[in-house]
Amino acid sequence: MTATNPTTDAAHQKIAITVDHLVKCFAEIEVLQDVSLAVPEGTVTSIIGSSGSGKSTLLRCLNLLERPDSGEVCIAGERFQFGNGQRIAHSDLERLRSRVTMVFQQFNLWPHLSALGNVIEAPRHVKRLGRRQARQLGEHYLEKVGMIDKRDTYPVALSGGQQQRVAIARALAMEPEILLFDEPTSALDPELVSEVLSVIRDLADEGRTMLLVTHEMHFAREVSDQVVYLDTGRIEVAGTPESVFNDPRCQKFASPTA
Amino acid sequence: MTAMQPESLLDWAGPIANGALVTLQIAVLAYAIGLLLGLIGASAKLSPIPPLRALATGYSTLIRAVPELLLIILLYYAGGDAIEWLLSLFGLDSRIEISGFATAVGVLAFVQGAYMTEVFRGAIVAIPRGQIEAADAFGFSRWTRFHRIVLPGMWPNALPGLSNLWLILIKDTALISVIGFNELFFTIQQAAASSRAHFVFYAAAGAIYLLMTMTSTAIFERLERRVRRGEA
Repeated sequence: MTATNPTTDAAHQKIAITVDHLVKCFAEIEVLQDVSLAVPEGTVTSIIGSSGSGKSTLLRCLNLLERPDSGEVCIAGERFQFGNGQRIAHSDLERLRSRVTMVFQQFNLWPHLSALGNVIEAPRHVKRLGRRQARQLGEHYLEKVGMIDKRDTYPVALSGGQQQRVAIARALAMEPEILLFDEPTSALDPELVSEVLSVIRDLADEGRTMLLVTHEMHFAREVSDQVVYLDTGRIEVAGTPESVFNDPRCQKFASPTA
Repeated sequence: MTAMQPESLLDWAGPIANGALVTLQIAVLAYAIGLLLGLIGASAKLSPIPPLRALATGYSTLIRAVPELLLIILLYYAGGDAIEWLLSLFGLDSRIEISGFATAVGVLAFVQGAYMTEVFRGAIVAIPRGQIEAADAFGFSRWTRFHRIVLPGMWPNALPGLSNLWLILIKDTALISVIGFNELFFTIQQAAASSRAHFVFYAAAGAIYLLMTMTSTAIFERLERRVRRGEA
């Protein structure tokens, strides 16, 4: 269990992500209502909450896969303001997304590329690394997630857990400043969850800045420096894992599984 | 020339082989240009810009709604006039003869492009959203996303339709004979009329078309296996 307490450390720790008064609506429904949040560099923040509470939407607002309706996001040194009619240039999006990468619930590997092909695709064609360099990078990260033996295998021939590990290697190969995990184990068979969680745990131990949307309460408690409990688009409780999981507002949600 | 001497298939072998070659050339070129038109059409149809969408929809709807034979005749005359008119706009008065070959390729490509627009549109829409989203999430530019993710992701969905269109195209080249161009069918018509051995020559034509379509079906099957290598 990590002992860092972001509320005391925040003062002398660089902030990687600041979310300010973020609002996101789908049609008439306010999915995020005035969400504010700070993530210090080198820490792990877990976002928990029931389905439909807006946690995935919050994560997707950080790399702008969803465009917030108002508020502000500062991430990886870029500041984005919403709701003032300002257009966001595609080049700004591309720069942001090459530094903040994402792991999806459904893996979303590209089926026409081998495991290695998936991992080196963005380094080759977004970062424009040379073939040799990208290959070395790809093999390094496949090794890291324990998938180097399957480098030439196509996604269809991999189990869910293996696909997700390749997807994590793909996110790492961009050498991002921030990693976003959107329910990385929710689509997996129960027996495959632990292999993915152990990879994520190793990354947390390396001191990477990560945001994790998850239903794995034990895991969130174990690896997080900060836990955010979201309920119907609002942050109900945020703080250290102990304080959040012991909070009565969160206990009703978290205790049956925790 | 001796009158009334029956001409055999052998006498006509040269012209027929030449006609078959021309038919293949027309078909391959028209197909290649049609692929390009189809990709542009599908991209326009899926673009967020309304006028582009309207233009592509108009193109694919109109062309697919009119008989091809009529289109070939229409475009043959209108196309010639249009190019003459365009040239006159630039002050070029020269009466440029458009070759029958160029007309045939142009008309068939234009028709193929309309059908391919629909095949590609369907094939692109059928790519699971998550794969496109993953490309977005990794900072792909629109062009990189298109040629690295959308195109390869689309081929398996598009190939059955494309293979169909190729077969239709080979057979449509016969329609070109109405504008009097020396492709396979036109040559056969001449041979049949001149020799009066109608059945022999038309049967030979049938065999040649069959040979072309069956060979290409085999090629398409191999292609399909190749683009589906990442699938079960």
